[in-house]
Order: sequence, then structure tokens, then C-alpha cells
Amino acid sequence: MGRIALNDIRKSFGKTEVIHGVDLAVEDGELVVFVGPSGCGKSTLLRLIAGLDRPTSGTIEIDGADVTRHSAANRGLAMVFQSYALYPHMTVRQNLSFGLENTKMERAEIRRRIEDSARMLEIEELLDRRPTQLSGGQRQRVAIGRAIVREPSAFLLDEPLSNLDAELRVTMRAELAQLHERLGTTMIYVTHDQIEAMTLADRIVVLRKGRIEQVDTPLNLYNRPANLFVAGFIGAPNMNFFETTASDGRAELPGGLHIDVPQDGKITAGIRPQHLRLANREEEALEGTVTLVEALGAETVVHARALDGTAMVTVLSGQPNLGIGDAIRIALDRGEVHLFDAEGQRIDPS
Amino acid sequence: MAAIPRTLGAIVTAPLTWIARAIDPPLRWWQRLTGLNGMAAVFLLPNLAIFGVFVLFPLVLNVVYSMTAGTNILLGDRSFVGLDQYQRLLTCEDYTQAITCREDMFWTAAGNTFFFVVLQVSMMILVSTITALILNRNIRGRGFFRAVFFFPVLLSPVVVGLIWRWILQRQGLLNLIMVNLGMEPEVWLNDRAYAFTATIGVSVWAHMGFYTLILLAGLQAIPKDLYEAAEMDGTPPARVFWRITLPLLGPNLAVVLVLALIRGVQIFDEVYVLTGGGPGTSTLYLTQYIYEVGFASILRNPGLAAAASILMGLVLVVLTLVQLGLSRRNEQRGSRQ
Amino acid sequence: MSAASRFVFRRRGHGNRWHWTDVVTWIWLIGGTVLMFGPALWLVASSFKGPAQLAEFPPTLLPYTQITAQVEGYDDPLPLFTVTQEDGSTTILAEIRRIGTSAQMVDPDTPSERIDVDIENRAPLREVGLATENYVEPLVTNDFLRFLWNSVFVTVMATLITLLTNSMAAFALSKYRFAGRDAVMLLIVATLMVPLSVILVPLYSVVNATGLLNSLWGVILPTVATPTGVFLLRQYMLTIPDELLEAARMDNASEWQIYWRIVLPLAAPALAVLAIFSVVWRWNDFLWPLIVLSRRETYTLQVGLNTYAGELNVQWHYILAMTVVTMIPVVLVFVFLQRFITTGIAGAGIK
Repeated sequence: MGRIALNDIRKSFGKTEVIHGVDLAVEDGELVVFVGPSGCGKSTLLRLIAGLDRPTSGTIEIDGADVTRHSAANRGLAMVFQSYALYPHMTVRQNLSFGLENTKMERAEIRRRIEDSARMLEIEELLDRRPTQLSGGQRQRVAIGRAIVREPSAFLLDEPLSNLDAELRVTMRAELAQLHERLGTTMIYVTHDQIEAMTLADRIVVLRKGRIEQVDTPLNLYNRPANLFVAGFIGAPNMNFFETTASDGRAELPGGLHIDVPQDGKITAGIRPQHLRLANREEEALEGTVTLVEALGAETVVHARALDGTAMVTVLSGQPNLGIGDAIRIALDRGEVHLFDAEGQRIDPS
Repeated sequence: MAAIPRTLGAIVTAPLTWIARAIDPPLRWWQRLTGLNGMAAVFLLPNLAIFGVFVLFPLVLNVVYSMTAGTNILLGDRSFVGLDQYQRLLTCEDYTQAITCREDMFWTAAGNTFFFVVLQVSMMILVSTITALILNRNIRGRGFFRAVFFFPVLLSPVVVGLIWRWILQRQGLLNLIMVNLGMEPEVWLNDRAYAFTATIGVSVWAHMGFYTLILLAGLQAIPKDLYEAAEMDGTPPARVFWRITLPLLGPNLAVVLVLALIRGVQIFDEVYVLTGGGPGTSTLYLTQYIYEVGFASILRNPGLAAAASILMGLVLVVLTLVQLGLSRRNEQRGSRQ
Repeated sequence: MSAASRFVFRRRGHGNRWHWTDVVTWIWLIGGTVLMFGPALWLVASSFKGPAQLAEFPPTLLPYTQITAQVEGYDDPLPLFTVTQEDGSTTILAEIRRIGTSAQMVDPDTPSERIDVDIENRAPLREVGLATENYVEPLVTNDFLRFLWNSVFVTVMATLITLLTNSMAAFALSKYRFAGRDAVMLLIVATLMVPLSVILVPLYSVVNATGLLNSLWGVILPTVATPTGVFLLRQYMLTIPDELLEAARMDNASEWQIYWRIVLPLAAPALAVLAIFSVVWRWNDFLWPLIVLSRRETYTLQVGLNTYAGELNVQWHYILAMTVVTMIPVVLVFVFLQRFITTGIAGAGIK
């Protein structure tokens, strides 16, 4: 079992509060990803769950039991650290067994668990080496192995892939997903990389400045971001935003393109670069000047400046013949426009 | 080969491991009871306890002793005399003549120490700076020569004293050299001036390697590209030394100066073995004075020794504060770079 | 000049000319080597000379031993001398005894015939050899073994306790946040200013009151809480990542286990440096043992040596040999661990 519930968690360091009242329920077997820019409190929140830090107020429950006052060792959780934190003076085998020995487990059982997890992670040949003799990917596996042998009720992973090179990161990401599939254990995963978040998560928790901005499945976050921050944070390249004022249910975007809106006043229209295309001659369009062309082969990212000076990015398929300084007319699919009110909250089309 | 130290290590650590394991359960219990702060206290306790009993408490007690009189070491058997001991130490008819002072030995020792420190520290800095500069050159066998100059640093002061006493004695090596050069042999340590010089020379010999290392570290921290830039500018070597090397070595020189001063004021061991303070009182320095007054002489006077040691301590505190200030400034300079 | 010597005498001047700084450098280095090693080597050479040879002037560089011969009719071997006859020829004779300025001698080949020789006309016949009895006798008869044992005991115990207590304190000061931590650090910094020579009298009184006078523990305990050691270890422990400790906490390790099984092994390099320093310090300590230890059986080597050297009839042949023995551990440290120490000093500026 591994249900984890946070109730109004607050954390201050000295006088500065860094977590401002977080409520969250993680279901058993779920893989939840905390994502957000650096300094958003995602790692702090994870450490609070781990028991490495104590919240200033609020309670943490694991499987219904209040563990807020329990020490890290007594929460039955395991953690994979960003730096892996493998004990450099111990062999891989000793690294794996250290935590088990501390719980006075029988030798045979320790042996069995190490062998099982080593087989699962394909690190059997590495058991007698020391961490310094391992490659980055191997260390990562050992760090995961050290968590697995504990058979915890939940895994906590703190940016576990950030020290790997790009290629390895993709492989390890896939392996982590498989591992979660196989173990079925609750995982809480912290990252600043939205691709990791999108690919791994059952649900994503977007954090900013110590507050939860939105909790939802990856595709819901992408399709229905709850506010400007989430809209801008999820998706690459970033969503284009156009600030405008609506009246009589209509708003005008630079270049004279009109969209229907359900309410008047200051609003922000957001549209993802992938949902823009070159306009036909007769269509209403966003007009601007090309400032940069990034040709990636299969697609081309075109940066342009709209008539009112707003920067906009378009992802066009193929290799359109565009150069810096060219005038450009961009059309959009009105169904893909996200609208946000003056406070930045999502407005659902009526 | 490597297996032998490893098994030896295992033999030494086995009982220690056993003890460490045995005290884990009570400490675990204590940790559950008091949390991390309680454990911090446990870890600090042994060191602080020893420290308190053998350093802090004596420090306070010293002041008490300096205000009592008598030959008995037990505080209960001593009489309170206020500042009499200080008065006794500091009273002179003519402050330029140690012999007119009430406690003339103290003034002799203080005067000797002063001249010793001034001369020894100057010599020390000169010799170790030259050595460091030479060791910083691109010479073959630099590691070897660095070790050569460091060798006497490890020798015990008693051994140092005996080695030189043996060389400076009547049938010693120095006289062999003198005779071979066609000069008259001397009984070096029976001559006041020679004995004084010998204490300076021997202590420089024994400690210069230490200061050389500090200065060498400083020299090696000077970025190479500064020298290359100077070379590109066609700066003459002497100017490079005065305008680049010396200013950048300044902080290390200052540290060496103060450290050498602090050590110089406390000089005792090697001199005591070499000359015993003699001939007469010509190499009697402050620590030996304190030792003699407090412990060695028949009419010992712990109160007077305590008062003298407090006066010496004040000098050392001032010097140490200067040193701390200097090293802090260095650190800041280092962090700014 | 061969390629090898060109390499050895790499210098500032280009081509084959010697720049004056090269000359100074090599004079300084070679002179320095002689001056730094020479005295100790002279001590070692002297320590193998017999008492008679030590009293000679001018002294010889190498130790010699008297050549003796077994002569018929005499129980003990007799020393051999080269005797110059009146006609200028020399013969080798054995000396039976010396009476005033003349010596009674005998030709080993004709043992029955005694010859009187003026001692001016005879010179001892010697060969290079070691008077090893200088070493053997004090070890067997004197208290030297006792002193040696005392010194070893003090050095080992003090070093072990220093390593343990200093590393525990350093661990607390580097890895915990608690109220008063800065105050403790300040206290330790402050005591750097309190050298032993400043608190001799009260420390003696404390040691007296705790009943440690004339006990080796009275020498050991006041030295083990060194601020330098705490500093050195703390600086090193600050470089151990906190994540390792947290990983251990997640692994159910108690704080004591974290100290013992994670932090101590990882601080091994710093512990090694401190151990070397501590060994050298405690082995060389003189003033404090001199004050605390007044019974001969508790003397350490340094105090014992000083006592021997202070006796009225200084027995240099024993003292020199014992000085050499006292030097041995330090020389071993120098030969094998010199690099450790020099980098330690360059890094931390401690001694």
C-alpha cells in the first residue's frame, strides 16, 4: 500500500515561508510527478514527505496514519537522490544491503532481495564494484536498486535523471516507466523537465512559488491548462500569448484576426505554436515579420514579431521557404485557442 | 604487500567496530528521545568535556593563581594577595636596567625573549622566503629539496637540542671545521654571545621548513599568466619580483610573520636542552622563566609563574588576533577572486 | 655536457651559459641539503663511536673500532697498536696495560717478551666499525626500554582519543544545525590563542587534583582536545555531501551509525593527516611531560633523554644512540608520509 496525503502543509526556513499550504492526495500505485521551475518548492515538498525535513504546520499521512512526526527511517519510504548519494566507500552490494542490515533483516532475505533487484536492473556483474568504477547510467541503476530492495510503500525520486546525458536520459526514462509498471508501487517523482513529466506521470502536480497551480493528467494539463502559468510552462516551444481587450463577445488579435470570447474585458489569448499555420490569401490572419528561422528538417520553427510587437512562435511542418525580414501571415484554428481572464485563470468557452 | 596493512587495519578496527556496534542501541534510544539536537550534544560532549576541564577551566584558574601567594600548589593552602604578584613582576627602579627590577630574572627573560624574537623572526622570514623562491623555480628534484628543508621540522625539540649541543661542544663538528679552516676552536655554548646566536640559529634551522612550505604555497598560488604578461611587457626580473611576486605573497608573509612571532615568544624546548638558559642567564627565555619559577626551583612560586604566564598570554592574544584578522582578510580576498 | 646533466641542471640561462641565479640556486640547495641532513647524519655516525673515540679531537668522520688480537697467555683479547721504533720503523704490538706515559706491550708473535713503549710513540690500530654496544647496553640495562614503551603508549593512546573525540565534535559542528553551534565554534577558535605554556600552573593543579600526576594519562588527556584537529576535520567533513547522510537516514541508519559507517570512512584522508600530525606532536612533546612526570619509571623518551643529558657525567655514547632511536619513528614518518604532511600544511597552515 502507498497512499500519501498532504494536508495544508506549510514550511518556513527562518522567516521565509517557502511552502504555502499544500493539499494533495496520491493514490496507491500512482506515479505522480512534481514539476515546476527551480525554486518552486518541489524538492522541499519531497523532502517533507520523505521526513528529511519537518513541515512547519500541516500533516502528512501514509495509508491513513499520521506520520508527520515520524523520522525518515520509520516512514517506510525509499528515496533516489539527484546525486544518487551512493556510499562511495562501499561496494554496490554493500550499498544495497546497508539499509536492510539496519533493520536487522535476516542474511538470507537480504541476499535474496539484492539478487532479485540486481537481476531486475541488470546490475548483477557490478555488485562487487565501487560507485567510482561505474558509469553514470550504472550509478543511476544502483541508486534505484538501493530503493527497490527496501520494498518501500512508495518511492521518492528527486530529479533522478538530471545528471545523465541526453541520450541516456531517454533510455532511463523508458526503463523507469517499465519499472513502475512492473512494481506497481506508488512513486513521487520530482523534475523540472516537462518532457519527463509528460511521459512518465499518471498525474502531474505543477508547482510555482510554493503553491500548487494545477494537478491533472498530462494530457489534461496540455489540453486544458488551468491558468497562464501552466499554459506557458507545459508544451514546447512555449505557448504564444496575445493580450487584448474583448468587447461584445469578440476580441481582435494583431493583424485584424478576430476570435469569439465568452466575456468582455482584458483577456489573454493563448495558442500553441503547433496549432498555427501559414494562412491562405483570403483568410483572416496574424500578421508579422520573421525574426528567426530554425530549420529542423521535419519541421521549421519560425519566430516572428506581430504588428503590435508581440513575439510569436510558429512550428510549421516541412521546410517552407522563409527568411529573416519576410512578411508572414499566420492562421489559426479557433478551436485551439485558450482564453485567460485578467487574473490569468482559464475561461472555458461557453 | 598491500594485504599486510589491510589485515593489520582489520585487527585494529575489529574491537573498535564491536564497541561502536555495542553503543548503538542506547544511542538510538537517546536519538528517539531527543532528536538530532540531542545527538549533536552526544557528539560534542567528549571533546568539550576534555576541553573544558583541561583548557577552559585552567584558563580561569590561572587568574586565581596569579592573585595568590605561597609555595603550595593546592589552592586551599594559598593566601589571597590581590595584584601583588603583578606588582612584583612589574616594579623596577630603572626600566632600562633589568638588574634594578624587583624580579630581575623576569625582566632578563623578557628582554632576552624580545631580542631573540626580533632576530629569530627576521632571520626566519629571510631564509624561508629565499628558500621558497628557490623551490618555486623550475628545478629538477623540487619535491626532494622541499622535503630536505622540511626534515628538521619533524624532529623533536629535544633531539634538535641534543644534535646541536653535540655539534657545538668542545670536540664537536663545528670545531673540526674551524680547525680545518685554520681557526681556533671555541667552546661555543660557554660564550654568552655565541650561545644566544646558537639558540637563534638552531631554532631557525628547526622551523624554517614549515614557513617555507606556507610561502611556497603562496608563491604557487600566484597565477602563471601574470608572469607571462610581465614577460610580454619586457619587465625586468627584479621589477617582476618587487611589483608582482612580493605584493601577491604579502598575505602569506604576514601569516608567517605572526605565526613565527607567536612561536618565538613561547620558545622553550630546544633551547632548554641546548643551553639550559645559560651561560648565566644569557639564553633564559620567558617560558623557561615560568617553568623554573613555577616548578623547577626549590622556592617555587606558582602565583608568580601564573602572573608571568598571563602577561605572556596577553602578548600572544594580541598576536593571535592580528593573525585571525589577517587570515580573514585573506579569505575574503580569496573568495573575491 | 651530457643530455642527462643538462636535464638535471635545467636552469634559467639559455644555451650553455649559467645565469647567476642558477648558481645561487644550486649553492643554496646543495648547501641546504648538507646543512639540513648533515647534523642528523653526524649524530648517527657519532652514535656508533665508542666513548674513547668520542673524547678525541679532532673527531673522525666515520666510527672506528679498536682491532684486538688474542695473545697466548692472556684471557682477554688485547688491543693492537702501531708502534714507531727509535729507528723509524713500525711494528704492530698488543698493549697489556698502560702505566702513566708508558705502555707495557707485547709482540703477539712472541708473547713471553714484554716491551715498554712511550705512549707518544704508539697509535691505535683501528678499522671502520660500529660500536653497537651503545645501542644494546641502554636497551638492556637502563630504563630506556621503559621510556620507549611510555612514549609509544602516550603517542598511540593520545592519537586514538584525538581522532575519536575530534572527529565526533567535527561531525556535530559540520553536519548539524543547533542553537549554540556558532558559540562552540567561537570557543574553539578562541582557544587557539591558549598555548600550553600559558596555563602551565593551573593545568598542573587540575592534573594534580584529578590524581593524574605522574601518570601517563596526565600527559595524554590535556593534549587530546586540540582545536586544530577539530578544525581540520570539520573543514573536510563540510565537503561530504549532505545527501549521503540523508540517504543513510532513509536507509534506517541511526545518527551514530551515520557517523561511524558513513562519515568516518569518508573522512579517512583528513583523519590520516591528523593522525600523522598527532603522532609527531605527541612523540615530540617535552615541556608538559617534563612537568607532569617526576618519577623515573613514568618518563617518556624526550624527558628521559633530557635527564640523561643533564647528568653530571654525561654519557654521550649512550645519549647519542638513544637520540637516534628517538628519531627513528619521525624519520619513518618523514620518509613515507612526508608528502601527506607537506600538502596538509600547505592546505591548512597547521603544525
